[in-house]
Amino acid sequence: MAPSATAPESLSPSTTLDTTENNLQPFFVLHRARSRKSEKKPTGTWKTRRRIDLSPSLPKNGENLDAEKAEAWDDCRHVGIRMEAFDDVWSKIKSTIKDVLRDINTNVFNEIHHWVRESFNMITSFATPTFPEATGSFPMVTDAASKQLFTGLVLTKNMEFVDDLLTFEELGSYLKSQGCHVANLSSLEFSVKNGIGGCLRSLLRQFLMVALDAPDVSILATWYREQGSCNNPVVIIIEDMERCSGSVLSDFILMLSEWVLKIPVILIMGVATTLDAPKSILQSNALHHLCPCKFILGTPPERMDAVVEAVLVKQCSGFSISHKVAVFMRNYFVSQDGTLTSFIRALKIACAQHFFMEPLSFMLWFLLGDDNLMLQGEKYGLSPEMMLKHALNLPSYQSYGRNKIAKQQDETLVNGLAELKKLQCQWSTVILCLYEAGKCDKVTLLDLFCEALDPESFKSRAPDNGGGLENDSGVSSSDFYKHQQYHTTRKSGFICQAVQKLRDLPAVQLRKLLKGWEKYTVSAPQIHDKVKKLLSEVKFEDGKSLGQDLSTISKRHASRKHLKIEDSKAVNEKAAKLLESMVRNYMQPLECVPFHEIVCFKNVNALQTALIGDPRRRIQVDLLDVRNIIQCSCCISSSNTLLPSMHDSSIMYTLAQEHGDLINLHDWYQSFKSIVLCLSNKGKHGSNYSPSLKKRKATTEPAKPSEASIQARFCRAVTELQITGLLRMPSKRRPDYVQRVAFGL
Amino acid sequence: MGKEESPQITRRVTRLSSSTAVTNNEVEPEKITKPYKPTLNDFVSGGEQLSFNDLLSSFPARGNQIRELLRLLGPVNSPMLPLFVYGDPSTGKTSTILQIFRYLNRPFVYASCRTCYSLQILFESVLNQLLLHKKNAANGYSSAKRCVKPSDFVNFLREDLTSVIEKLRSLKKLGSNKPAGKPNGNMLYLIFDNLELIREWDKSSSALPFMFNLYDVLKMHEVGLIFISNTSPDTYYSNMGYTEHVPVYFPEYTEDDLRQILMKNQANRKLYSSFLDVVLRPFCRSTRRVDELSTAFSPLFRKYCEPLSDLASVPNEEMKRRLFSHFRPHIAPSLNEIFWVPSKSSTEAEINKDTRQKGSTRKPEVGDHFAQIDFHMSTSAKYLLISAFLASRNPATLDASLFDSTGGSDSRKRKRKASEKSMEQKEVAEQELLMKGPGTFPLERLLAIFQCITSAADSLDEEEHENDVLRVGGDCGLMSDVLLQLSSLCNANFIIKGGSCPLEGSTRYRSTVSEDLALKVARNLKFPLPNYLYRR
Repeated sequence: MAPSATAPESLSPSTTLDTTENNLQPFFVLHRARSRKSEKKPTGTWKTRRRIDLSPSLPKNGENLDAEKAEAWDDCRHVGIRMEAFDDVWSKIKSTIKDVLRDINTNVFNEIHHWVRESFNMITSFATPTFPEATGSFPMVTDAASKQLFTGLVLTKNMEFVDDLLTFEELGSYLKSQGCHVANLSSLEFSVKNGIGGCLRSLLRQFLMVALDAPDVSILATWYREQGSCNNPVVIIIEDMERCSGSVLSDFILMLSEWVLKIPVILIMGVATTLDAPKSILQSNALHHLCPCKFILGTPPERMDAVVEAVLVKQCSGFSISHKVAVFMRNYFVSQDGTLTSFIRALKIACAQHFFMEPLSFMLWFLLGDDNLMLQGEKYGLSPEMMLKHALNLPSYQSYGRNKIAKQQDETLVNGLAELKKLQCQWSTVILCLYEAGKCDKVTLLDLFCEALDPESFKSRAPDNGGGLENDSGVSSSDFYKHQQYHTTRKSGFICQAVQKLRDLPAVQLRKLLKGWEKYTVSAPQIHDKVKKLLSEVKFEDGKSLGQDLSTISKRHASRKHLKIEDSKAVNEKAAKLLESMVRNYMQPLECVPFHEIVCFKNVNALQTALIGDPRRRIQVDLLDVRNIIQCSCCISSSNTLLPSMHDSSIMYTLAQEHGDLINLHDWYQSFKSIVLCLSNKGKHGSNYSPSLKKRKATTEPAKPSEASIQARFCRAVTELQITGLLRMPSKRRPDYVQRVAFGL
Repeated sequence: MGKEESPQITRRVTRLSSSTAVTNNEVEPEKITKPYKPTLNDFVSGGEQLSFNDLLSSFPARGNQIRELLRLLGPVNSPMLPLFVYGDPSTGKTSTILQIFRYLNRPFVYASCRTCYSLQILFESVLNQLLLHKKNAANGYSSAKRCVKPSDFVNFLREDLTSVIEKLRSLKKLGSNKPAGKPNGNMLYLIFDNLELIREWDKSSSALPFMFNLYDVLKMHEVGLIFISNTSPDTYYSNMGYTEHVPVYFPEYTEDDLRQILMKNQANRKLYSSFLDVVLRPFCRSTRRVDELSTAFSPLFRKYCEPLSDLASVPNEEMKRRLFSHFRPHIAPSLNEIFWVPSKSSTEAEINKDTRQKGSTRKPEVGDHFAQIDFHMSTSAKYLLISAFLASRNPATLDASLFDSTGGSDSRKRKRKASEKSMEQKEVAEQELLMKGPGTFPLERLLAIFQCITSAADSLDEEEHENDVLRVGGDCGLMSDVLLQLSSLCNANFIIKGGSCPLEGSTRYRSTVSEDLALKVARNLKFPLPNYLYRR
């Protein structure tokens, strides 16, 4: 119930006008247009008087304005330009995500295509009908096995279906590009209401581009034969099998199985849950006609890791999120929503808000290698001085960079950003190494990412590293102490788990792992050298004990190989040490670096409200203190009492608070009536002092609302509350009670 | 169509058009441009002529039925009563009839109620065939005549039938020497397949009487009606005064029949016969449908042949024994398997190998494996699933004692005094509960249980990971979009939105999750589900 949509009639138009003038909320724009229309000559006087009424609220707004003006530049003007920059950044992120998701599916798509071709060859091997045979109405007489319908069951591995809409679309276009005739059907077409005609209609629409009154499979057969060469299969993709009506889908399958020799149809069905789903949905005689084959898409955590790696760890756009935001997004994914779609949406919201709020956000481009920072600034409406001033005021610089303040200031920013970029690079390198190690133990990148972003744990890991950016202290005695401390405090951490895993990794896997590290660390020469050295050691040992790796794994207890095991253990230990030192020295979370505000989104609350919203709660809260939203003159003065000028449903809901779960309609009505009538009584005494009364008199409404009109208002308010889901209408058992539906508050 | 016409078809067309040029021009003079023109020859099934012996040998166990049908159809141009062919699915009704007509070379029109899924489409399909009309791109895939009402259908049908029969007569006069592929006789047969489906089309059941009455209504002796159905005539009519249909029953195949049928078209008959010796008997106990058996046998036969290097080899006794011992373990599981899904994916095999390796190296974490769910669900969806399962399984009266009263109370407690009931009554009630399956529950009860469970789990979680940093944002509450999760659970068929309760008018839900899955999910969450389950 947006206050702007249903303005209570007791509010005069000029009141709303006033509020719109002072309070620049986009919500009230609608109202302004309406009130301007009604704004005739005489209202001018009212307006001035109302101004006086509003006086307590005015200064507050004025102050806000002043404070805003005190800002060094007018931000509003440049938000638009910055949002353009956001569009660029986001389109880059989006295309990266799309590529990543496509790459994940490539293998499966190839497999599916291969299988489709195989199945098609099987079908054509049963029989190759001539044109009259294929388009005739009677079935071809062959053996029973040829009535099988080849069916690919694509397991999407996610109960939620949103993520896979795109996947099936892409699968369709991929198969199309390989020459198949493809139609995508969704569960909407398999409803009981439309019956089998619905899905046939959709099929014909997609294949023949015609909409028919009475669709019929024989048309499809004619169309297929009329294509000329019949060398391509007809693939029908049903995106979400579980949601389809079982009987309609069964009928569809039976019908297709009768025609499969005439139209070489191959079904592909998306299965969200388990392979039992077809069994539970389809009728058994339809099930017998399926010749199934299963394919597995990437699981949501796998896809999530791929996206996180490409977008957040490898920094495709330079945009980054803070620890708290990351943890929030992770928790939202794991416990609330479970779809990649909502994760990406959250990321987009974060990115948009970052660009909206942070004036220096355009410098993201600098991190991507665009050196012309100052020029950029001009483009975004900032003079170099302002930019510097703003940058030096960033809290991260204030706390970390004070000791360097003596330096040339404009260089500080450039250097700081360069430093930031370098550290980010190192950080992501280490994270990828950790991920590689943790993979064997099913540690997800998302978890690692969240943990690695945590500034607190970093501080506890390396207390003396806080100020200096590059305290590349070698392995010293104090390290051992730190290492111990690290272990005691972070026993359950994923980083720790990954390192621990490294210690008991078999030699073959260790070498593979180190090869992976070598690839990742190319950009960070210090680490790269150490990894290379370690790798050479492993190789050397491999040369010594060639072919003994396997036996080492299987027969650990064999005493005569004890020495070798010790050796490989030593290498493992070295690798773990190296990883630990990498974590300690190079994995500096973004939030510990000066100027990180430029690239890093930190406002978790803003994200949460934008993402979740919690509409049920919001509605209830808003109904209870409506005066915060509709800042009209009459309500602002009295703090808590109910006024008749308030919106009816708001009055009703407040009154309902006094009742329990069950509300007696009669009592409720009486209290509502007393409140509404209170106005007219007051109005009689209060002469023309009250503006709202004047308004009332000016309109056709009588001074004292009649019983009938109160009842009508009451009914409307109850209905409104029911529509918003706060009430349940009286049941047959208790005809004079309504029930409150209040969960979550 | 057009230029890429396959040569075979054009050849056929020229042959046909030369031989039946007269009728062609009469029937469809407007479609001269089309390369393929349907002719009266389309009323017969085409293909090479079938001899009676071929007919008998292609249906090993159907000799009696074929003779019976031929007797009923009678010689050329003899009127007949409507036939009602019935028998269990996959007993060869449709194919036998179609082959008989191919043998007799008589004109017929076939309409399956499976393909023609409504009366309108059934009517139009029959009329299109009579008018030799093909829906194609040229005519915008529309029917020759639009026909919705049964009365219209009768008029059109009579009109078209007379014209077609006239043409057949003239054709007979024209060509005294009968070339192959020419329709034989001037009688037209209408075959309606899958008649049992009509019963489901309209509940007013006007369609079925109409179909059965068709013979009486048409009053044309040149038309033969044949109905094919899965169910016996008793399930259709009840002395409504139709002309008596002549029933022809296709009995279920015996084991020997099945063996003969399955042996057809086998490359290595000896080998297959030894295979059937092993499998046919156990499978016949569960099903005698040819289609089910043949689909079940084809992968099994492949497995049976696995140890053989040469598939053409003739098995001797010793080899049979060897094959059997190799094959025996596969029989029992495949008997129970209704729906077996193989995988083409190579990656999965690798994964399996991986897990097996892991299983051998790391014994202590076997428990992990049981907690694996095959698909991804968010934590709150899992809790919701469990609470729905509990709400369906437990009686509502027990909620208060199982959960804390703090988490929200069930306002609609049914007053039931269990102590007063005698043991017998209780048992009856238990039986009833078992028969009813999972119970229904209102949304409020589900949410209340959900709240209890999550609050309990949260406290448990906090004890476990006291210093887990990742739970910082976790307290934003699991409640926020539970209703969304509920709808996605409904979509995944885990919860069924049932009909509304007659007393209250609100929607009730029912959980259809198996206990196994619920326990799996609970184990995954480390939730002590058995403690909350009410065991009867």
